[in-house]
Amino acid sequence: MATIIWRSLTLAYRQGVFIPLSSSLIAGSLILTPILIVLFQSLTTTRLATFVGFTTENYLRVFTDPEILPMLSNSLVYATGSATLGTVIGGLLAWIVARTNTPGKALVELMPLYPLLMPPIMKNIAWILLLAPKSGILNNMLREGLGIEEQVFNAFSLPAMIWVFGLACVPLGYLFLLPVFLSFDPSLEESAYIAGSRPMNTMVRITFPLALPAFLSTFILNFLRALRSFETPVLQGSPAGINVFVAKVYDSMAIEYNSGLATAYSTLLIALSIAVLWFYVRTTRFSERYATITGKGYRVRVIDIGRWRYVTFFAVFGYFLLGIAAPFAVLIVVSLIPYYDYETFIGFFARMDLSNYHRVLNHPSFVTGLYNSLTLSLATAVVTVMAGIVMAFTIHRTRVYGSKLFEFIGTMPLAFPPLVLAVGLVLVFIRTPLYNSLWALGAGLFVAYFPYALRNASGAIVNIHKELDEAAWVHGARWRHVFFKVTLPLLKPSVAGALFYIFIEAIRNIDVAVLLSAPGSEYGPVTLFDYFRVGQWGEAAAGGVIYLLILIVAVSAAKFVFDVKFSL
Amino acid sequence: MRRKILLAIAIFVTCVFMSLGATAHAAAADDAYNKASSALYAKAKQEGELIVYSVWDVEHIVAILQGFSKKYPGIKTTYWQGRNPEIVTRTINEFRANRPSVDAILSDNAPPVLRAAGAILPYETVQKEALLIHDSTMPVVSLQIQALTYNTKRIKAADLPHSWEDVAKPKYKGMVALDDPMRAGPLSTQLAAFRDSWNDEARWTAFVKGLKALNVPVHRSTSAMFRLVIAGEYAIAMPALLHDVMNEKEKGTPVEYIRTATPVVFPRYAAVYAKAPHPNAAKLLTEWLISPDGQATLDSVGREASRKGFPSKTSIENAYGAGTQPIAVHDKLFMEDPTKWLDTHVKPIWGGK
Repeated sequence: MATIIWRSLTLAYRQGVFIPLSSSLIAGSLILTPILIVLFQSLTTTRLATFVGFTTENYLRVFTDPEILPMLSNSLVYATGSATLGTVIGGLLAWIVARTNTPGKALVELMPLYPLLMPPIMKNIAWILLLAPKSGILNNMLREGLGIEEQVFNAFSLPAMIWVFGLACVPLGYLFLLPVFLSFDPSLEESAYIAGSRPMNTMVRITFPLALPAFLSTFILNFLRALRSFETPVLQGSPAGINVFVAKVYDSMAIEYNSGLATAYSTLLIALSIAVLWFYVRTTRFSERYATITGKGYRVRVIDIGRWRYVTFFAVFGYFLLGIAAPFAVLIVVSLIPYYDYETFIGFFARMDLSNYHRVLNHPSFVTGLYNSLTLSLATAVVTVMAGIVMAFTIHRTRVYGSKLFEFIGTMPLAFPPLVLAVGLVLVFIRTPLYNSLWALGAGLFVAYFPYALRNASGAIVNIHKELDEAAWVHGARWRHVFFKVTLPLLKPSVAGALFYIFIEAIRNIDVAVLLSAPGSEYGPVTLFDYFRVGQWGEAAAGGVIYLLILIVAVSAAKFVFDVKFSL
Repeated sequence: MRRKILLAIAIFVTCVFMSLGATAHAAAADDAYNKASSALYAKAKQEGELIVYSVWDVEHIVAILQGFSKKYPGIKTTYWQGRNPEIVTRTINEFRANRPSVDAILSDNAPPVLRAAGAILPYETVQKEALLIHDSTMPVVSLQIQALTYNTKRIKAADLPHSWEDVAKPKYKGMVALDDPMRAGPLSTQLAAFRDSWNDEARWTAFVKGLKALNVPVHRSTSAMFRLVIAGEYAIAMPALLHDVMNEKEKGTPVEYIRTATPVVFPRYAAVYAKAPHPNAAKLLTEWLISPDGQATLDSVGREASRKGFPSKTSIENAYGAGTQPIAVHDKLFMEDPTKWLDTHVKPIWGGK
């Protein structure tokens, strides 16, 4: 290993790409160290918290567990369904915003972003209240309004799980695909129009196939997110007897307190991640095929889709309604009533009061937690996105031996359920002075969100033809000129999307933050999640409404008052 | 008639003796607390600090630490809050790394696991006489009380089950929501308690089989399950926690608990960490939590008291009537290795996931 690294560094020095390679090695080491530590731990046995010896018992248990196959099969259906739904709708929204003359441009740009602001667990609870068979709002409305006695909707089913998590996957699809559609060279589409192709036909046969690497990259992210997601399967799957594989990982931690066994179970997720990444690398190995930004100059061209523009407007608005407006409305009502049942929900005017809001705002850590997380999340987002771009540059733009390995290393944290990854991070820092400091927490957040930065940059960089860099190299430019003057400006739209996404995700991080934050320093709106965890849905909804309103006002003000471009 | 009068007198006399006994125990415990706390406070003041890890809500921890600081000024308090797996993971790793990171751990499931790993300093409270459940190495400062709960809009009084065992009858199929018995949650705790208490394997097995035969939804989140019972999705929660039920009843929520179903209790500990940097402050906290002042603070945030005869809305006496004997969990294997216990006893009947 040391020889490979030394050889790569020597070669990189000769090629003038020593800095990006060494930066990627540092980022890669930070990511790989906690992973290797938990993998090592999974092969050891302890007694009274001290190391005793090596064992393969954890792996034997995993591979002889008869419950695994059906659970894995549920997981695959759930993850594939959610990731497909999220990526396809996200892609369609991105295409509508970037390439069509849909009316209400400013609003249409923002509408797909708002659902990202709502934490997934809040969506889960809102959708359970909407779709529950007996007590759900929609089934009761159908019964009272149309006399339909049959329970049409069922929150506790696989389709409902896919629907809810799929909707949660849309913003990532939108944010990561928008820059790709914005940076398209329209000459290929123009050729199609000249040959008589209609706009929709061109979209399906030319535009979308060219965006394949970015689609695949986003799909992989959403697939891995769904595979390790826990709230939706626990809240909606368990009551229907639909158990997913990741429950095994959580049980190992929550019942047996055995992080070694949890890691052993996670290795199946790692194997799956490597398989999907290998598929991605194979599919995009001739990346020039997908390059749409070339040296011939490019300009974004908006397509006139005629009367379809009203359809596309309503498609975006429809997503806005389902993605945030409907669940948000449910949460607002729930936050104003003493308890939820259909009767109280419908007659909420008579029962409403502000006691839940009063309690949340007087909570000792609500404001401080939110404030503390803002600065750290911003710093984490900037550092992570920059490191992701540098690593993607190393993978796709240098000829360094073994650089493709970074693709796997950088995506690996996604294969680990957050609690397992957090244990690895604790073990990295626990014997250093950094433990219980903001530096350790920042590093933890960096590792947790690095895959998003890398996949985003990787998907986008493939769309930029190498000839642009090569022209710079030929003219004697050093790597920093190529990176800062050629690659980075062309990646600007992707940078904005990834920054926004990672910032929002990091603000509400719980799993990594909880183990790495020091006593006495709250991080994130922990209060909000505490209320959900202990089942106080009224207070949780009130906290969620306040939290969402702050973010919606901030995002809208940034867009309309300060003209901040999140993705354009 | 005469027989009834004699029975009433007998019950009255028993209650009087019991309350006199409890009062005597309480007085002895108070004396012991006063002596121990002044000695501990002097040392704790020198230590100057107290770090607490807890599974309880932040609001509750803050109220508890404020109460403690008011009684014992001069000791700076800090807390960190997480779930049981996070508390165990964090503390065990800190213990392995030899870090003097925490003093006291307030939790239910985490302390027995940490004790089994050697990360707990054994400490026996001086107020043990006053406690409903006593553990000689980790003071029990509060109780988790399970109540058989139902939605008053969804089931008529005449149709209600009278005991936990009644719930397993086929007539409740489609009405009950069960906590997952194959995870370390309230229902598995209850099963461990019944197995000990009944000491009748055939009866216990029939009960578990009856629950399984209901073929009803099984929830891995007890709090979400309770919300769905309130929403009217299910009629009966098997089980709910008494303090949740009491809080909801105060809000006018349509829930009620069945008084004839004996409450099941599980201890909530204040354990002292083996490498505590401020062990005297930790011991003082545990003693104060058991004292009438500490129990009143716990009661004010809705936590159940662990002290015998403590007047509280969530006390067993108040909720179930004087003389009610709760069923407690004593099974050591369940407390320290719930998976092994579940695999040995429940899994053969319930099956896998």
